[in-house]
This record gives sequence, structure tokens and C-alpha cells, in this order.
Amino acid sequence: MREVNALVLENKIIAEDVYSLTFSTKERLPIRCGQFCMIAVGARPLRRPIAVCKVDGECVTVCYRLKGEGTRALASDYHAGDSVTVLLPLGNGFYVKDGEKRVAVIGGGVGIFPLISAIREYGGKKEIAAYMGFRNKQAVCMEEEMRKNATLTIATDDGSVGYHGTAVEAFEKDFERFKPDVVLACGPTPMLRALKEAMKDKGIPVYVSLEERMGCGIGACLVCVCDKTNGAHARVCKDGPVFEIGEVAL
Amino acid sequence: MANLSVTLCGVELKNPVIPASGTFGFGREFDEIYDISCLGGVATKGLTPEMRLGNPVPRIAESRGVILNAVGLQNPGVESFIKNDLEWLKHKTRVVANVAGKTLEDYESICARLDGLVDFIELNISCPNVKSGGMAFGIKPESVEEVTRVAKSALKKTPLIVKLSPNVESIARNAQAAEKGGADCLSLINTLTGMAIDIERRKPIIANNTGGVSGAGIKPIAVRMVYEAAHAVSLPIIGMGGITCAEDAIEFLMAGATALQVGTQNFTDPLACPKIIEGLNAWCDRHGVKNIGELTGTLKLN
Repeated sequence: MREVNALVLENKIIAEDVYSLTFSTKERLPIRCGQFCMIAVGARPLRRPIAVCKVDGECVTVCYRLKGEGTRALASDYHAGDSVTVLLPLGNGFYVKDGEKRVAVIGGGVGIFPLISAIREYGGKKEIAAYMGFRNKQAVCMEEEMRKNATLTIATDDGSVGYHGTAVEAFEKDFERFKPDVVLACGPTPMLRALKEAMKDKGIPVYVSLEERMGCGIGACLVCVCDKTNGAHARVCKDGPVFEIGEVAL
Repeated sequence: MANLSVTLCGVELKNPVIPASGTFGFGREFDEIYDISCLGGVATKGLTPEMRLGNPVPRIAESRGVILNAVGLQNPGVESFIKNDLEWLKHKTRVVANVAGKTLEDYESICARLDGLVDFIELNISCPNVKSGGMAFGIKPESVEEVTRVAKSALKKTPLIVKLSPNVESIARNAQAAEKGGADCLSLINTLTGMAIDIERRKPIIANNTGGVSGAGIKPIAVRMVYEAAHAVSLPIIGMGGITCAEDAIEFLMAGATALQVGTQNFTDPLACPKIIEGLNAWCDRHGVKNIGELTGTLKLN
């Protein structure tokens, strides 16, 4: 992990309330898909943990939804040419094993962005089917990026485009046809719970990336813990954010 | 190059900067970012006799210039610390073992276990005392004195730091109570109790409802309390509360502190501690200060 004074290349809106920030770390860093970074926003005491979406040489793109003061300030105060302080890469990331050829990727909301990094990393090496859920047509973004390396099924809550329902439902309907060897997922907790239920007798590894309010982002402060099914706690920032779904209580 | 070393209770620190308990784990994670042997010491995550899982999440919130936390003393227990982390940390720097308990017996046993193994024991007395209806040990001067005395009686070798809570009637009286109980040193301030509300949900952001407030916004309160404590006792003081830079740290020294702890700023900037050490050196050089210890208690009131 490195503390980097990065250069903002672009910070633009890509869907309703969703922004894409690209910065140059000035040197190539070893960033895996599913890892995240801690971004300093002005003089706020806490950094914002945001998943890496794309890595292109020394250029890193993260996408975020306007949620509170910090993300709003990140959207309004950072422009091309500004510097932004970032600690990265953090967390474990997604790993797909050699024998796992067919990868199902299931995302909802801003959970699609860390999955895009996985689609990019394994695109061309694996067969990837992506099932991405959005509120409505206006919320859909980065469609072209996903289609480059995956067969994409879009699901919307209101049916305004694609499958009318959730990403997990769309995935379940397609399960027998695609027959995945492994599943990667990220999204709201109800979505992950539905996925856990849907996959409980399938005998296929399912890896989920979790989100939690963080302090340090590196595993020291024990703020962002999640419950494990064995009764212990895991640190989302350091032991995760990616966990095998059976390991964690959702 | 100024001499930044300070001596606390006969123990020399290479500089006065110590990351505060709860913000730095046992040092291993930050050591991946910089070599923590540059630090004056490390105050460990609060240790209890048995492992603790802590509070439900969310455990943290941000407000203007401050954060709130309610981790609830999650820690692997003192035996795990001794077995897995202590030797590693001792090779890096001075070890300030922060300890907590629910009963006087807890404090006694954990102090006895760590005596002679660490450089300092720092007593977290902001925990609820289960035998007195949950009121924290650190609130009333009588219980501050009692818990200090019990801890001190278990310590034959290691100096005892008592970490004072600011949520009290008189910081001076509690400082005196700790001194009377046998403390070798005081550290202050611990966090102030606060609340932050998510107005959309009409609920506190933190699962525990209230949390400890820390960060830049509490610094004036902390400096005032360090000043008051320093003038109430003859013990050395470790000052903390909202230190973000060397200039903040110098305020605490002038108010009466001999050493310093840096907490929340480790989250804001993971390189905060080494930057503050560098900044202290530069400030001393600019002001012709040869030994940083010369600054302690040099405040002149208007």
C-alpha cells in the first residue's frame, strides 16, 4: 500500500448521482481487481473508502455515488489538474482460480464498480456472465465497458430496461444455461442475502465484497468489522472486503 | 538538529510522539506504510484480560472537524498480545500497553500480567464499572483513586500512566486523585462523549448511539485540560486531543505536557506521526530550541 499524491485527470457524472474519478498515481502500482483506496477529501478527518473500478497503467478510476458531505465535496471540489491524496491499494480483492473457467458476476448499485475491475482483469481469460441491477434506466452506466468482456444482463427494479426484477433473480433464471464455476458479487446487503439463499445448495464458491464505514482503512482501528459465521469478527478493510459468502453472516 | 528525546518516569523515548490507543492497533499495519521504529512509542489497542468482540457496527461517524467512535474495546485479549505482538513491537519502539477492565480485579490481573514486560501501562479508566451500576471508573475522583491504587499495587517494575477522561466535573481533582492513588504519569484527554444523527433515519449514526469524540475540533478543550492538570499535580503528562501537526503538538508541550499522543490524525493522514516528528525538529531548529524538553510548561498566561 502506498500514500500517493495523485493528479486528477477527470471527475465526471456518469449516471444520476454517480461520478467517475480518474487520477494518475504517476507510477504503476500493483492493484488487483476488487481492491479499494482511501481518498482524502479536503480537510475532513476521515478518508472515503472507494473501490477501484479500472486500472490502466498509472491511471486509476473509481466511481462513487453522492451520499453525504464527503462524496458531494469530492464531486464538486476536484477537477482535472488538481491533486488528490490517496492511500492504495487496500484490501484483498477478488481471485478466480485457474480451474474456474466460467465466472458469474452479480452487482447492484455502486457494487457494480469493483466487479467491473474483475471483468476487466479476467476478460479474455475466462467466460464471464454479468448480471447487473439498477433502479431504472437512468441509473444504468458503464454498459459498454462491461459488454467488452462479458455477456451482460441488465436488471431494473422498474423494468424500464432489461430484466424486470433484481440481478439475483436474473442470475437464477440463467443459472442452468450458464453453469458458473464461481460467483463474484457486490451490492446492497439484501441482495447479498438473496444470493446466499439462492446459492446455498449449489456447491459453487461465491465471493462477496462488503462495505462498511471505515476509520483507518488498513486494519488497525477495528472500526469496520463484519460478523463471521464462526462467531468471530473480520476486518472488512484488511481481511476483506472480499469474503467467501459462507464465511460471513449477512 | 534538535534533541527530541524525552524521559518519562525514567524511561527515555527517542521523541515525544506516540500514536494513541485504538488508532494504531499493535503497530503492524502502519509499519507497512512506514517504519514505526521512528516513533517515540506506541500505545496499544486497549487490552482486556479476555478477548472482546466489541460493539455492533457502524462504529464510526464524522462530524465537522471531529469523528465519533464506539468500537467497544474489541481486542484479542492480553495473552494473544503477549504471544503474538509484544516481542515484535518491543523491537520497534517503546510499548505503552493500554489496559481496560470491567472490575477492579480485571485491572489488577492485567497489570500483574504485563508488569515488567512492557515499558508503560496506560490505564483506560473510561470503562463502565459493572459493580457500581455501570458508571465509568474515571468519573468520580474516589473511583479514579481506587482503580489507580489497585493497578499500582500490581505493578512492581512498570510505570503506571492513568489516562483521564474529560467527561468529569473537575479534571484537576481527578488528576490529583490519580496522583494520590499512585500514578507515575497522566495522559489526557480521552474522548468526549457525543452523538451524531442521521436525520433521514432519525437515528444515531453509530450503533451504540453515543461515541467518543476526537479530532482537531476538541483540541482547545484538551489543551485547557492539560494545562489545568499540569498545574494540579507534580506528575509528568502525556497530552493528546486533536493534534494534527507539529504546531498543535507544541501547544500541548507549552501547556505542560512532556510527551504527546496522536490519534484521529492517523486516519486523516497515515503518515501523520512521522510528519509531526519532522515538524517538531524543524520548529525547534527555527526557534533555537536545543532540547524539546525545554518547551514543557513554558506557557505564560496573559
